[in-house]
Amino acid sequence: MTKLKDKLFPYLFILPGFLFLFIWLILPMLSALNISLRNWNIMPNTPKPWAGLSNYSQILGDSLFWLSLKNTFVYALVTVIGQMILGLLVALMIDNLVFGKVFFRALYYLPVVTSWVVVSLLFKFLFNSSPSGFINYLLCNVFHIIDKPVSWLTEANTAFAAIDTLGIWKGIGFAMIIFLAALQSISQDLYESAEIDGAGTIALFRYITFPALIPTIATVSVMLLIGAFQTYVPVAMITKGGPLHRTEMVVSYIYNNAFTNLNFGYSSALSYVFALIVFGLSRLQLRAFGGQKGLDEK
Amino acid sequence: MKQRLLFITLSILVLLCACIPSFAADTVNITFWHGYNEDSGEADLLVNTLIPQFEAEHPNIKVTAVSVPYDSFLTKLIAAISAGSAPDLFRSDIIWVPQLAEQGALLSLDENMPDFEEYKAAVFEGPLSTNYWKGHYYGLPLDTNTKVWLSNSAMYEKAGVPVPTKMAELEDACKAIKAADPNAYLFSADGFYAWNLLPFIWSFGGGITDEEVTTADGYINSPQTVAAYEFIMKLYDEGCISPLIMGDGVDNYSGFAGGLYADISDGPWAYSILNGQFPDFTFEASLFPEGDGGSIQVIGGEDINIIAQTQHKDEAMEFMRFLVSKDYQISMMSVGQMPVRNDLAESDEVKNHPYFGIFLEQIATSKARTAHPNWAQIDSVITDAGQLIARKEMSAQQALDEAAAKINDLIK
Amino acid sequence: MKRKRIIKQSILTLLLLLGALEMILPFLYMISTALKGPVFVFEFPPKLIPSAPTLQNFRTALTKNNFGHYFLNSMIISVITVLLILLLGSMMAFSLARFKFRGRNFIYGLVIFFMTMPSMSLIVPQFVMADRLKLVDTLSGLIFMDVAMNLPFSVFLLQGFLADIPREIEEAAKIDGASNTTVFLQIILPICKPALATSAIISFLGVWDEYVWATTITNSPKNWTIPVAIASFQGVHTTNWGLVFAASLIAIIPVLILFISLQKYIIKGMTAGAVKG
Repeated sequence: MTKLKDKLFPYLFILPGFLFLFIWLILPMLSALNISLRNWNIMPNTPKPWAGLSNYSQILGDSLFWLSLKNTFVYALVTVIGQMILGLLVALMIDNLVFGKVFFRALYYLPVVTSWVVVSLLFKFLFNSSPSGFINYLLCNVFHIIDKPVSWLTEANTAFAAIDTLGIWKGIGFAMIIFLAALQSISQDLYESAEIDGAGTIALFRYITFPALIPTIATVSVMLLIGAFQTYVPVAMITKGGPLHRTEMVVSYIYNNAFTNLNFGYSSALSYVFALIVFGLSRLQLRAFGGQKGLDEK
Repeated sequence: MKQRLLFITLSILVLLCACIPSFAADTVNITFWHGYNEDSGEADLLVNTLIPQFEAEHPNIKVTAVSVPYDSFLTKLIAAISAGSAPDLFRSDIIWVPQLAEQGALLSLDENMPDFEEYKAAVFEGPLSTNYWKGHYYGLPLDTNTKVWLSNSAMYEKAGVPVPTKMAELEDACKAIKAADPNAYLFSADGFYAWNLLPFIWSFGGGITDEEVTTADGYINSPQTVAAYEFIMKLYDEGCISPLIMGDGVDNYSGFAGGLYADISDGPWAYSILNGQFPDFTFEASLFPEGDGGSIQVIGGEDINIIAQTQHKDEAMEFMRFLVSKDYQISMMSVGQMPVRNDLAESDEVKNHPYFGIFLEQIATSKARTAHPNWAQIDSVITDAGQLIARKEMSAQQALDEAAAKINDLIK
Repeated sequence: MKRKRIIKQSILTLLLLLGALEMILPFLYMISTALKGPVFVFEFPPKLIPSAPTLQNFRTALTKNNFGHYFLNSMIISVITVLLILLLGSMMAFSLARFKFRGRNFIYGLVIFFMTMPSMSLIVPQFVMADRLKLVDTLSGLIFMDVAMNLPFSVFLLQGFLADIPREIEEAAKIDGASNTTVFLQIILPICKPALATSAIISFLGVWDEYVWATTITNSPKNWTIPVAIASFQGVHTTNWGLVFAASLIAIIPVLILFISLQKYIIKGMTAGAVKG
């Protein structure tokens, strides 16, 4: 009796949450799968001819999708690494502070709580090509690194420099807060005994802090990576995917196929392919950090 | 313990489910989605004055007006249509109509509205044509607009030249403007998309496709269209058109009011924006510069369409008649909306209006954009052609030949 | 020694202050724009200090359009959603992290897959679902969906956290005869405080800022949330950015309050839970 109860227990505990996921994610996802296999139209009660895998095979030759996937991938790579390094750095600095911890934590968290629309507008301003754009002003008139203003937003590479900067800047606080929490759980005794042995700051980080943070790094990097792959607001606000779709991101491409071209079948097929790619990447990432804790072991 | 926890969870779920859809019995309730800002004068007038007036005249109809932000309008509408719960009628951007009609989402008026011919004859032809798709009319125009040539008076005074009225005069005007201020530009537009380029293409005598929208060959790559693109590129290379057209720079209004751009081409809404933020700034309006094809601008505005799924066809049509009625159209003029009725074009209300006159004059020679379900993609091809030419990645002829092939794929 | 410490502290503070300067830039910009009165387009060159500052935008945002009502809606939705997420998420995470059962890896895989699916592509089927369940234009429709969309993330975070915590205390409790539910309520939840606090902060922000679903499912202003109300200030041709920024600034306050009040739990809880080392 107790044995059965114990066996059922994990299922019972999963059930309530699973119900939500079932109704609002699993069923809609099955519906999207069905849509992706048909020539869909938006009118209810009209025939939606079966299309087989034709929506999926169309993806192979869709150079715009692959370009947007490449853009999104590079953005994710750059911003995730940037956020992790700077977030960790800030967390370490704040952790070592005696006064003002709460103050700095809140300040560095500010960009996280600001809406993407507002900060995208701000960055569009900062990187404006006109001589009064702030970044150009700094580079030309203050630091004299360049002699004439750069037209940041009209070339894909420089536009991404602006968008990547925004992505990193906005996410530092997020990485910081999770690293800060993890830093608290490292036992102080370890540091003290190492200091008595004469270990320097760098050695302390290399042999105590960093190894202890690896599980956190795994979790944070997966969360940031998945988040980065869903990014579209800054691009939509700053370059609208231009010039010539060279800054297009996958999510806006999927959205446009559905809601601008009303090609829901193709859009759903794109979503599935994209989700599977990101899913595969995050599994790989978790494995690289030594397997998802408590799951793949044994 | 465990049971209690589950019980708590379940009771929260049940509590959340207790939502109440309510129905009124004897009156017919119709829903109207408009795209006016919730805090705008238009919404205020519509919801607090005009709809109550309609409801007083039609005690059996109740109108629920829903303010839907423009950016999410189509998304929301498409989701609602898919679920079969769309509004009865809505105010649409004129470029959405062919696409929604092609999906079968709109009610054709020529087949369903007994007095449609009467209304058809009462409204401007250009705006009406935006409701036409494959042999049927799917709506009526609600309001209209176009763009005119706006000029910064102080800059022209300083340059000592008159405002150009012909395409051929633009280069000289530019030289004079730049002589007075080397940092200034003659003209600014915020991108290469059709809304900005079509006036040049049409005024040069070019076009996108034939009338029946069967081919782009010989239209978008015609000598006239190529000349229009080359003209714009020449002005851009000479520093007469601001870099904003490439997608980066000072925006139109602040550049215009700030003495950086001598001209912009814009609609009636520019007045409230410019007067609202720069009350001391003076500018004047004239017709778009004339080319070999005339002075041809793009028609903008909104239509009013009924959803095919509606259960209240007659009541929706009755409200539609109200929206295009003379009284309604006159009332909406007070909040800056331009009327679509022929009998108002010569009315005192229009004549005494501070700036509608020039816009109505321009509308007389304006054209609607290509009516096609794939218009958004066609627009993207037009934009890309501009970018390719401006970046010197292709010659105008080459880029437009390619554009013709792409557009043919989209309209076949 | 003491002197060295003071120097170190000063350098750290100085560096952090320099960084913080960049972090608060958007706020200075937002505040200055919000104080300028009606701003339809941005000035060039941008002026950080408005020539005639006015609180008009804040007054308009607060008094016009029932902003208080939207604020209340957002509050109700966010608080209920976050509580549900914390409860359901920790239950799921507990099962996934502590029990071996058939389908566990599958469910865990699903949780990750949910996070990778672009939410835009599910909007239409989700809306049809809401319509069938008569949830269109209701606050419950918003809450259900917000729970489902944010739950996977919290499960992932909590599961990762729990998997890191040694099981000694739980096992001892079990030997003493405690049931699984007791272990969950009396040991797991207290240990999880830091992860729960993090989860609460992140999901509150996600729900508070959610726009696409909120605008899709609500029709009547009585069910609007703050992001929908702010978006309704933006028009086709004109957007009063001063008003938008004033409203956005007001909207940030609850998130900041929540963050500042919960962050101490992150720290305290963490040290309490640190049985390893």
